[in-house]
Amino acid sequence: MTLVSALIIPGIIIRTKSLCSGRKGPALFQPLFDAGVLLRKGVVLSPVTTLVFRIAPSVSLASVLTAVLLVPMGRQDALLSFSADFVYFTYILALGRFFMILAALDTGSSFEGMGANREALYSLLVEPVFLLLLGTYAMFTGYTSFSEIFSHFYFSNNYAFIAGILGFYLLIQIAMVENSRLPVDDPKTHLELTMVHEVMILDYSGPDLAIIHFSTWIKFALYGALVSNSLVPSGWPVALQTGLFLLLQLSFGIIIGLLESFRARNKMTKNPQFILTLTAIALLVFTIMLLSSYMSSK
Amino acid sequence: MEIILLVVFAFSLFYLSMAERFRTYTALIALQGLLLFGLACFRLREMNVANLVFLVTETLLFKAIAVPFLMYRILNRIQVNRVHPDALPGFYALLLTMAGLLLSIFITRRLDGQLIERTFMLIAMLALFTGVILIITHRRIFSHLVGFLVIENAVFLFSLAVGMDAPYLVNIGVLLDIVVSILILGLFMGRIGTRYSDMETDNLADLKH
Repeated sequence: MTLVSALIIPGIIIRTKSLCSGRKGPALFQPLFDAGVLLRKGVVLSPVTTLVFRIAPSVSLASVLTAVLLVPMGRQDALLSFSADFVYFTYILALGRFFMILAALDTGSSFEGMGANREALYSLLVEPVFLLLLGTYAMFTGYTSFSEIFSHFYFSNNYAFIAGILGFYLLIQIAMVENSRLPVDDPKTHLELTMVHEVMILDYSGPDLAIIHFSTWIKFALYGALVSNSLVPSGWPVALQTGLFLLLQLSFGIIIGLLESFRARNKMTKNPQFILTLTAIALLVFTIMLLSSYMSSK
Repeated sequence: MEIILLVVFAFSLFYLSMAERFRTYTALIALQGLLLFGLACFRLREMNVANLVFLVTETLLFKAIAVPFLMYRILNRIQVNRVHPDALPGFYALLLTMAGLLLSIFITRRLDGQLIERTFMLIAMLALFTGVILIITHRRIFSHLVGFLVIENAVFLFSLAVGMDAPYLVNIGVLLDIVVSILILGLFMGRIGTRYSDMETDNLADLKH
């Protein structure tokens, strides 16, 4: 279901942004058609690049596909589940990013090196937000794997309500930062100096570029799935859970589109401060839940 | 409901610690006044008419309306709306505030009391640290006043944490402090400050020469 929604979310984001700016916009599946065109094209490789550059898109795709196995659909169990799998989730995604950064440096382009530098910094800063948030959920439910956390997460009191609402906000912001979207990066920019992710993939073409796009879409759907899972009730039949999950994924795409339509991009120097604010919010939620669990254990 | 208001209060503290515009400071001080009014309404067990009148006067009229209004007037007169360029950047100020939060957790866990009281204590201590950080890391007198107001809000939260209103005399004394500090700020900006191109607190030291 996460993979299915990954194919729809990019189209929904573009369509929402188009409608918000008063345009009809492209077809819902236009990003897929564009990727199809890329898959049929040949690959042009710079002579200075090495094997790292060639395997990086595949490693990136493999890492997000492995991460998909860990995330449950609604309140159903994930295909792969073990203790502290959310830590594995974080670092398997980091592995894919690491190879993309290496590939950008491998081209020898100063622009791509600059983009890689920024991507590494933002990823470094956003990692504590995700771990603190999932740590909060783990502390609240008493479990450490995604499947168990989401099957035991209920809005039982005000503290859980706060954790849920702020978790919803933080996961959307993490998805935006991890996928290099507004306000930290603008995928539509044409100026290399202000690019982050786009400048890293300037040297890719054909199927490799299509694979990178697929990886990005799946990563978006992964974070959308995490948001959706905390809202799907466990008592519902599987078919209803699946329907609600897909509906929530579509809503996630619309929310991203709306946020991007009515939000300006940060100044580049303000981005670390913005991401640190997310960490502060996650730390506050963690603190309150820590206090709550400490008191209940006494 | 109290916990939601407390979390919003904590957000306002994080925002204060990294904000760079005085108008943002003023808006956040007004928001904190409103939040304190809400918290006091939920928190105070005994609420007679005299208590209610004093509470509305102290939080809603004074902290949420009168003080921000005076601050806006001062800002309109002086036409300076940003913190000093040499002030600590927001990124590091926020890091310091987060360190303050961790220190607050450490202290709060050692105290006795119910969960909500500890949460009040936690946020009150965070407000105290934020106020001190604002005063230490900024150079313009306006930021210092805001830091002082945040510390005063922390004192109010401390009194709510123990589940009782502070005696009238203490409350009136604190309010008098705020009025005097704003009057001094107005005097500094309106009379003495016109002699200087900036509003740095260092200028006060020059006055004795």
